[in-house]
Amino acid sequence: MTFRILTIASLTIREAARRRLVAALAAITVVMVGLSAWGFERLSHSHSLTSGESNLAVPQALILFMFMFSFVVALSASAMASPAVASEVESGVLLTVGARPIRRSEILVGKWLGLAVLLAGYAIAVSALEMGVVDAVSGYLPPSPVLITVFLFSEGLLLLTLALLLSTRLSSLAAGVIGIALFGAAWLAGVVGSLGSTFNINAMRTIGSVSRYVLPTDGLWHGAIYHLEPTSMMAERLSEGRNADPFFVHTGPSWYYLLWVSAWFVIVLVGSVISFERREL
Amino acid sequence: MSQTSSADHFARPFNGPGTGPPVPSSVPGGSEAESSQGDPGGRGSPAIHALGLHKRYGKTVAVASLSMSVGRGEVFGFLGPNGAGKTTVVKMLLGLVRPSGGEAMVLGAPIGDRETRRRIGYLPELFRFQPWLNAAEVLALHCRLLELPKRSWDQAVADSLRVSGLTDRSGDKVGGFSKGMQQRLGLGVALLGDPELVVLDEPTSALDPVGRHDMRQIIRGLRTRGKTVFLNTHLLAEAEQVCDRVAVLDKGVAIATGTLAELLGQHGRVRVKLGTVDGSCTKILSKFGAWQRDGDWIILERIENDSIPDLVAAIIGGGGRVEAVIPEHQSLEDRFLELLDER
Ligand SMILES: Nc1ncnc2c1ncn2[C@@H]1O[C@H](COP(=O)(O)OP(=O)(O)OP(=O)(O)O)[C@@H](O)[C@H]1O
Ligand SMILES: [Mg+2]
Repeated sequence: MTFRILTIASLTIREAARRRLVAALAAITVVMVGLSAWGFERLSHSHSLTSGESNLAVPQALILFMFMFSFVVALSASAMASPAVASEVESGVLLTVGARPIRRSEILVGKWLGLAVLLAGYAIAVSALEMGVVDAVSGYLPPSPVLITVFLFSEGLLLLTLALLLSTRLSSLAAGVIGIALFGAAWLAGVVGSLGSTFNINAMRTIGSVSRYVLPTDGLWHGAIYHLEPTSMMAERLSEGRNADPFFVHTGPSWYYLLWVSAWFVIVLVGSVISFERREL
Repeated sequence: MSQTSSADHFARPFNGPGTGPPVPSSVPGGSEAESSQGDPGGRGSPAIHALGLHKRYGKTVAVASLSMSVGRGEVFGFLGPNGAGKTTVVKMLLGLVRPSGGEAMVLGAPIGDRETRRRIGYLPELFRFQPWLNAAEVLALHCRLLELPKRSWDQAVADSLRVSGLTDRSGDKVGGFSKGMQQRLGLGVALLGDPELVVLDEPTSALDPVGRHDMRQIIRGLRTRGKTVFLNTHLLAEAEQVCDRVAVLDKGVAIATGTLAELLGQHGRVRVKLGTVDGSCTKILSKFGAWQRDGDWIILERIENDSIPDLVAAIIGGGGRVEAVIPEHQSLEDRFLELLDER
């Protein structure tokens, strides 16, 4: 069983490499990291900022950059996963593969695994490059870079899993568009929720907390922010008392929230397997 | 050079069919199955046995309670007009599509059985392969999916490439293949691992005349080696040349099944040219069934093939002269059109 899953996983990885997906992502990432290196260099050596201001501005800017990267990671995840099943059903490639002694579940889990490995590689490369470059240029390294990477990866993996589920039923295009739209909606709902808790508007707060459970991408992104914030920033922001900033959080995700996220993965993945098993080729 | 490869079992198109005795398979999976005792693969059972197989897509009935049986070692032709449900039946047999009703056994196991699919080769009507792989890589992928022993891969891939005539294009990306080349590759994939049952859905739809000829040789070669072939086709001449038995499907219903002889019947049409046609002569003719004039010729519409000599003897015995006799065998195409007309 593992052998067959690995066959499909390695095929998926080979496809990404052959189709120059890996090369394209690498090129774009190098350009973006280069741009941010230049920006951070300017920021940390700017004469118009006091050293205290600069100490806050660099982490703040890093959060913004990492947000952008999290967006790229999530978009790539959705773009990779949405055609994974749909395009092969449409083209007929799955007719010959599906007629072999392999279970549908093995095909699906193999694809998921292959894409997850690609995504992990990408998330690690992006986080290490960006945080490494910022550290080298401005001397700032967030408290726990590994956890940031894990949150960034989990957020992408979540969208990947969702897009794969959609891909078992919808066309590649529809699966991709719906996946990304839901990701955007979840982020917006998160902002609405944080506004709601700042200004004590219950309905808005509810939207935020419900969406955190339905599609936990924003919750995971909050985990990444939390670990990107230096303690000095935390102290300053907490003394201000207000928290309407979508790029600031004062607590990390709770363990039961993370437990729910794990359950979410299992539920959606099992759902994809069932959906694919019922799909006619 | 002695070749003991699994694909030598595929007839070699350019050497003609049945050249030399069958060589034992070098693929352990294949020889193991053949040497094992008892009835592990349900060898005593028919290759395909369907009972009331039914498939509905919304309101469309694609297949209406189809029952049929295909024996081991048979070349079975599955004929029918566009949309008759041939592809749907094949997909159900392979577990790619779920039947709405009925059941079927393939090689002694219920349809969709994973282990059984190891012994089935399938060339789909829509033959597409990962366009970013080359031909040899596609075949190697299927060796992996079939879980053939790794040491046999190279040989299996090389044999498949040879049978499909793609040896010199093995390193080229499949995405750049012509349609016919892709179909040839599909055949190579279907024949990998020396399957007991080969399911071909319109296998010559994209092939040139040489390719069609090769395909017939390959099918005959498979039969010589005791393999079962299930052939979906529109090409009735082709079916006539290679099939032992055929079924005709129309609108999801099997309207005729049997050997070609059974289907075409023992009745044929015969044209006779007589010197003179007088009263006694017409009496004799009428004994052999309905007849009509066509210029100088007399046409007897349905006469038993065996009784043509009797007809000639009777006319001569009655004092007539027989100048020519032309038996006109009904072709499968005529019969096919007739069957569809009758409905
Ligand atoms: N996925 C599907 N969804 C809806 N209807 C389908 C589907 N597949 C097949 N059908 C319908 O089932 C019927 C049989 O189709 P099928 O493809 O089995 O025919 P066929 O005999 O193989 O025809 P052809 O000779 O053209 O290949 C048709 O009416 C077709 O419209
Ligand atoms: Mg068809």
